[in-house]
Amino acid sequence: MSGGNNVSGQAYALTVLTPIIDGHETQLAQYLNGLQSGEQSPLAAVPGTHFARWVVIDDVIYEGPDQGEREHLQHSRLLFTSNFDGKLDPYLDALRTGLGESADAIWGHCIGYPRGDDADAFAKYLRHHQVGTSLFFASYGDRTVQDVKRSLALRSKVVEFALRAQGLPAAELKAAFLQEFSS
Amino acid sequence: MANVEGKATAITVLTPVKREGPLVLWAVFWAGRHIKETLKKLEQLSFIHYARWTVIDRFPDEGEGEELGHEYLLFESNFNGTWDQYIDAFSEVVPLRMKAIWGTSYGFPGPLPVEPFKAYIRRNEYVANHYWSAYPGSATTEIISAEHVEAALNEFRHHAAELEPEAFKIAYESLMTTIQHDL
Repeated sequence: MSGGNNVSGQAYALTVLTPIIDGHETQLAQYLNGLQSGEQSPLAAVPGTHFARWVVIDDVIYEGPDQGEREHLQHSRLLFTSNFDGKLDPYLDALRTGLGESADAIWGHCIGYPRGDDADAFAKYLRHHQVGTSLFFASYGDRTVQDVKRSLALRSKVVEFALRAQGLPAAELKAAFLQEFSS
Repeated sequence: MANVEGKATAITVLTPVKREGPLVLWAVFWAGRHIKETLKKLEQLSFIHYARWTVIDRFPDEGEGEELGHEYLLFESNFNGTWDQYIDAFSEVVPLRMKAIWGTSYGFPGPLPVEPFKAYIRRNEYVANHYWSAYPGSATTEIISAEHVEAALNEFRHHAAELEPEAFKIAYESLMTTIQHDL
């Protein structure tokens, strides 16, 4: 499923729920819990990913008798969500190549996962398990990861320059500014 | 377990929807997508990077999907600040929207008072096993400020080189005044 509701600006909200092989829930959760964070995360190698997460959903929550009888998922699910730049197809490919062996180490615990060395099968698997977004809110949905990082770096540079340039005579101020920001 | 990455916090909530809920949610989310004011209010909650609601009528599996006795509502958010501040703000700033959305789920006590609301979210929340942010050091407001700084600076440097030093200095100071709240 893919469509307009998944998109805000150029940002795309991907939601994938895959059934976990019975008995693999703990192993999968432990693997994910053990992944390094920050730049060591396997997601660091997937360009265009603003925010993403994996969550093991053991079962649905029961809110009491108002709801009727307690219900259970037949299989636990692995939830993967990502807020990324651009279109779904290129992103699924970036996900496969960027995650590399981690993709197999994660979704390999899920029923029917075909392994990441088959690009078409990988994309088809994730698409089949995709759930469409009902409402997507993005504060800066027109900004790519690169845009955000570039603006943040520029802002730091401006702050630094403003401090350094305090009290400079006009000609020196202009020269210093052009040297710093003309490119 | 990782609901926090730098300044970013992940929230993942999955709630069982009442029988009449799907129709109401369809209308609420339709309004959210088509009536600008609906999401505008969320922009006031200036600490949300990305958020989404997804109605799950079937949990994807290898076939047509697993249908439970109820549909489920998935909410995810990526925000900066603490969990408590986030729910407080939801409760104070957009209580009617929270009621319109989660009021369709079993067990929702209403957005006010906030303590039962928090207990409800905690009860229905799943902790991320792995969470990624491309810019964990930056809050939403910093990203939006950086965008303002970049736009103002780009406009300024467009004509800065042609100005005489004295005129440059005046224009530079005016630029700094314009962007001072974004630095």
